Amino acid sequence: MKTTELLQAGLEIDGRWQIVDVSYDPPRRQFDVRVAETAGRGGWFSRPKSAGSASERHVWRHVNVGTRRCFVHLSAAPGQLPSDQPWSGEPDMPFTHALSRQIASLLMHGVNLQAICSLLDISLTDLWKLKYNLESGKSRLASAPPPSPSPEPSKPASSADGGVPDTTDPVWEKLLDGSINIDIRFLSLKLLLTKLREQMRVIDDNDVRMLKVYEIQRYFERNEPRLKHELMQLASAGN
Amino acid sequence: MAIKEGLMTIGEAAELIRSGKYLSIAGDEQALKQLPTGNWIGGTIPYFMADQGGVVTREQVYVNEIGTFSESPLIRFYSLETLPKLCRNAPENGYSLIIVPGFSDVHSSFARNAPNYDEMYMKPLIGWVAGIHLDDLGKVTPKVVHGQTGQFSDQMAVVMDVPLPMEKYAHIDIVNLFTQGQGDDITFADTGFSAGECLINGKPANFSEYLSSKAIDTRLPLVADYSGAMVNVSIKGNASAEKRVDFYAPVFPGTTYRIAAPVGDYITTFQGALPQMNTELAFSCNCILNYLYCELDGKRTGKVKGPITFGEIGYQLLNQTLVYLTIDG
Repeated sequence: MKTTELLQAGLEIDGRWQIVDVSYDPPRRQFDVRVAETAGRGGWFSRPKSAGSASERHVWRHVNVGTRRCFVHLSAAPGQLPSDQPWSGEPDMPFTHALSRQIASLLMHGVNLQAICSLLDISLTDLWKLKYNLESGKSRLASAPPPSPSPEPSKPASSADGGVPDTTDPVWEKLLDGSINIDIRFLSLKLLLTKLREQMRVIDDNDVRMLKVYEIQRYFERNEPRLKHELMQLASAGN
Repeated sequence: MAIKEGLMTIGEAAELIRSGKYLSIAGDEQALKQLPTGNWIGGTIPYFMADQGGVVTREQVYVNEIGTFSESPLIRFYSLETLPKLCRNAPENGYSLIIVPGFSDVHSSFARNAPNYDEMYMKPLIGWVAGIHLDDLGKVTPKVVHGQTGQFSDQMAVVMDVPLPMEKYAHIDIVNLFTQGQGDDITFADTGFSAGECLINGKPANFSEYLSSKAIDTRLPLVADYSGAMVNVSIKGNASAEKRVDFYAPVFPGTTYRIAAPVGDYITTFQGALPQMNTELAFSCNCILNYLYCELDGKRTGKVKGPITFGEIGYQLLNQTLVYLTIDG
């Protein structure tokens, strides 16, 4: 298998798409991968299809190749972006779907934005752009991988110990969509819940909604000793 | 030893600073400039709620001693660019006390964006907006002070991060005498310190015309219900010729506001609204608009004291609200 084909497999570029050019810039530690649609259905050896004169050029940051940055370049006709490909992204967004999901997974585990930027070598501005678009329902994570396993064993909301329910517990979604309301004694929780409910109102991507569940659950875990009043209500609501 | 708090002379404040204590100090700019460098943060304002009641003074300063434990607090400036890191940099257990210079870009940015800062609401954040004597409007700018360097700034916020031992926690709450009135539901399309077009009960309208046609008392703020917390947006003015209303804090899209229900006697209502607490207040501040509209000059609000400010911060920017901090546990 040729090196380009190996890279193509590694970046999950397949089907009617293929790499037509790869360059590496050592000082910038950066790969630039140009992808085009194949003219036929012949796999690796098909000729690339012209995107036409009216095409739009897109560049997205993809998951790293080792410790090197990787950018995917694609020219596509307006409205013809491949929405189901991990290596592609949304117009005007900085990251591919695969990198967006990687970031979302880190956010779910409570990794702060600065740490994510350091881990993935991405800019805070781009990360803010992704976060803002996800939270305002303007972007989606698209086809997501299976949810990451929870680091803690599941604790059902209905448990008598009044502990913090696991993120898989439906009580969180109900709290965030307003199906259940609880009396809250902490200003921070009142403000956070209001913000998250407002975001949930416009988010229809299940994976992004799950991010919000992780956020509210993390608040409860941080403040568990002081939230007995609120946790007891969640336990009752879960029964 | 008891934590010191109150209105005091420059000499008394300087003595506390020289003793090495961590302090939050509010005062007129000329008064703050007489203080030595040390472990303090400051903001300009000459209005206070003191033992003797509401008072205006350019000669004295209001000092809050910050209780410290094994780990020392950290003082730093935040610029427009670094402000979003505010909560992320805060101690894992503890709180942050922030002072923002009024009318500055950093004030505007905080008001608009704070709810979306990384780690916002996860770590306690309290503070206030520095101001000036109302006679000085247009002549001087509100400022904050990094006491360790003695640097004044009208463009950066100053923050003291105060770590607490694991068995203690900072609790921030508000006392807001205003509640949503029985009137119309008001929503806005955009975040902003001013607005014209809006929806009144879902129908397109102009907010300036609405206020005029209903002869609404603009000393009453807009009030939104944040899961039980009443959050005000105070009205700065109705520019009816431009069909625009200006606010002291931004309105946010997706939030439903109503004009506040009128408050009777402020002092009586305030005393009734104060929660019963077993612990002393570690810090509190109240709003200049409450001071003016409720004529608090010379009047006492019980044991609740502190600077009278151009905006209060209980996580996010608040208006016409008392904000307080207790250290529990």
